[in-house]
Amino acid sequence: MLFNSVEFLYFFIVVTTLFFLIPHKLRWFLLLAASCYFYMYFKPIYILILIFTIIIDYTAGILIENEQYKNKKRIYLIASLIGNIGVLAVFKYYNFINFNLSFLLGRFDLTNPIPFLSILLPIGLSFHTFQAMSYTIEVYRGNQKAERHFGIYSLYVMFYPQLVAGPIERPQNIIHQLHEKKYFTYQNAITGLNLMALGLFKKIVIADRLSIYVNQVYGNIENASTISTLLAVIFFSFQIYCDFSGYSDIARGAAKFMGFDLMINFNRPYLAQSIGEFWARWHISLSTWFRDYLYIPLGGNRTTKAKWLRNLTIVFLLSGLWHGANWTFIVWGGLHAVYLIFGTLTAAFRNKYFPSLGKLNKISNQIVVFVLVSFAWIFFRAETFSKATLIIKKIGSLDFSINLTQIAAGNGPLNLILTFISLFLLAFISPPKRNGSPYKNVIFLLIITFLILILGKNDKANFIYFQF
Amino acid sequence: MIKRTSSISNFKKFVLAVIMPYFIALLLIGLVFTYFFEKKIILGSDISGAYKVNRIITSTDTNEVIFLGSSRAEGTFIPDSLVNNGFNYGMNGTQDDVILFFLREECKKKNKNTPIIINFDLDGLSYDIGDISNYLYNVNYSPVKKLLDTNYRAVYSLPFLKYYGYFELYSKYYLNAKTNLTKFTNNGASLEKNVLPEEEFKQLVKERLQQTYHFENDPLLEKEFYSIINANKNRLFVFVVVPYHYSFFNKFGNYEAAKQYLSSLEKSSNVKVLNFANLNFPDSYFINTTHLNLKGALEFNKILKDSLKPYMRGYIN
Repeated sequence: MLFNSVEFLYFFIVVTTLFFLIPHKLRWFLLLAASCYFYMYFKPIYILILIFTIIIDYTAGILIENEQYKNKKRIYLIASLIGNIGVLAVFKYYNFINFNLSFLLGRFDLTNPIPFLSILLPIGLSFHTFQAMSYTIEVYRGNQKAERHFGIYSLYVMFYPQLVAGPIERPQNIIHQLHEKKYFTYQNAITGLNLMALGLFKKIVIADRLSIYVNQVYGNIENASTISTLLAVIFFSFQIYCDFSGYSDIARGAAKFMGFDLMINFNRPYLAQSIGEFWARWHISLSTWFRDYLYIPLGGNRTTKAKWLRNLTIVFLLSGLWHGANWTFIVWGGLHAVYLIFGTLTAAFRNKYFPSLGKLNKISNQIVVFVLVSFAWIFFRAETFSKATLIIKKIGSLDFSINLTQIAAGNGPLNLILTFISLFLLAFISPPKRNGSPYKNVIFLLIITFLILILGKNDKANFIYFQF
Repeated sequence: MIKRTSSISNFKKFVLAVIMPYFIALLLIGLVFTYFFEKKIILGSDISGAYKVNRIITSTDTNEVIFLGSSRAEGTFIPDSLVNNGFNYGMNGTQDDVILFFLREECKKKNKNTPIIINFDLDGLSYDIGDISNYLYNVNYSPVKKLLDTNYRAVYSLPFLKYYGYFELYSKYYLNAKTNLTKFTNNGASLEKNVLPEEEFKQLVKERLQQTYHFENDPLLEKEFYSIINANKNRLFVFVVVPYHYSFFNKFGNYEAAKQYLSSLEKSSNVKVLNFANLNFPDSYFINTTHLNLKGALEFNKILKDSLKPYMRGYIN
């Protein structure tokens, strides 16, 4: 079920109303049933994958906690990780690996005998698998008690607001909340509603609007000019931000309405002054996941310089691979690794020879970060490596001819004007502060509703991160 | 118990201070906004489908010559270049079921016997109501509701909300009609001023050369056309095939069948057929391989006017 659909509006009203009406002891069941329905709305059969990983990790958690010997604990942990990564490998990476194997064998005139699988990627697989893995790791580390209530554990993996596109929660943050009795509070309701409204605004008014232009240019790059290609690249940077952070806002808002606090996933990433800061502001739940469960265990930065650079490279390449089984995503991750390494290695030099220019320095840093990140997004958005190369060539061709049809990407000048208006609104729309007057909230909700109804795209477009 | 009581009072506060004022304000502002938007924007542009649907239902002008058809009609027939008092009801994305709707509405008008000019597409009579935004303003008018058939949704009966997703489109029509920035407009006609970059046009030609086409009439639509033509002998029906790019005919399976159908239409005493499909206009006259641009349309209207003159004396200068 999509957050930006009428079906979800009905679903949310019914589930939330029932949640506050029924006794506390039945609420986990309601939320679990609702989450199953929410997930099965996409493709029912894939619920079996979730059940499989839930059983594995629930059992592993208890076995790890009950086991006295460290070695055996580790075996249970590894078994659980193999189960989870195995599911990812089959459903997400099997065909990719097989394709590359065929390519390699083809270089030696050999035929790959392994058949390709005809399977659709289950929605949100990478998200809930990572969330499930963080549970067993935390139990193994002794930071989280194994959850004995199978329903609550299942809900931890399946809690519908963050099931298909995060935030990727940690058990320490969410499991105890699932046990707590929640009461309806005005503050939670209004904060939740405002967050959901903001998320819908980002998705329907901005991201979907930008997608019209971006899709047109990326789908027809041969006929684009340098101006239209540059615009498409910049627009995609904002599209993906609004699409994904919009989803996170709706998820946090839906949970908050019921009294659950999900982690903040985005913190104005394009205001970052370095690539390192960008990653502290972008998809925070994934960045911290990689930091806690991969980067630090590899040695982090408390090791030799060579190993540290290796650790960074591994983390970013895997982060790219996490996003999708395609070389374009790996290149995207690799580019960020290069940025980060280059930035870190040259930091001392830059600080010495480029004196601080105060606010100008800050702005120039933000621009540089935005340009670098936008360049990397080209590989993220393009379906193939050759297409990404073509886009870069288009930008490099410096074709600044003025053709209105071309600049408007064939969608007319009004669409382009509305696209700029939407981006302009992004800078100014934010929910009223907590404990503000109720009327400020009413006005905020009215403004968002009108903007959605008047500027919104009514086509139930999928969220980009669903594919991951 | 205290928390439960507090929960109820919080809920009351939420409903009374936020939800109720929100819905009341939304309703009031929505109604006022809708009123002005409909009057000023939707009906303020004579090139929008919504305006055209409303006009065919409400117009009482007995001297008006009407032009019907799809986007090929909308982007080709320039009423002021052709007749003294004409209006182009051509609608982008629509097919013959919509033309029939317009014909039925037109033929309901008493004391009217002006000619009706219909664009005929060579792929035959088919169904397509086009964009739903064309009908939302008049959605409660029963022939419109009937035309929408299974496309009708309950939300279309709600003011303001029914226009969700279409405000931009109406505004686009309005701006095009008022500014003529990218379009040339005239009494319902909307012609493309922009030309495609040469490379892009060549690409379209290349694609068109590979596409197969086939003439085929839907029997029900064919029957209904005959029935309207025969029931309105006081009206002259002129079927016009406007020029196609040569590439359109590369893989056209049964052009002869289309011509035969047009000839059969002409057997009715009140029907004339003017086929300009193979006029062989140059590339510079087309916006794509099936639609003329402004330059092409202006040239074509001169030719069409000369051809219409013998049949439409009194309506053409």
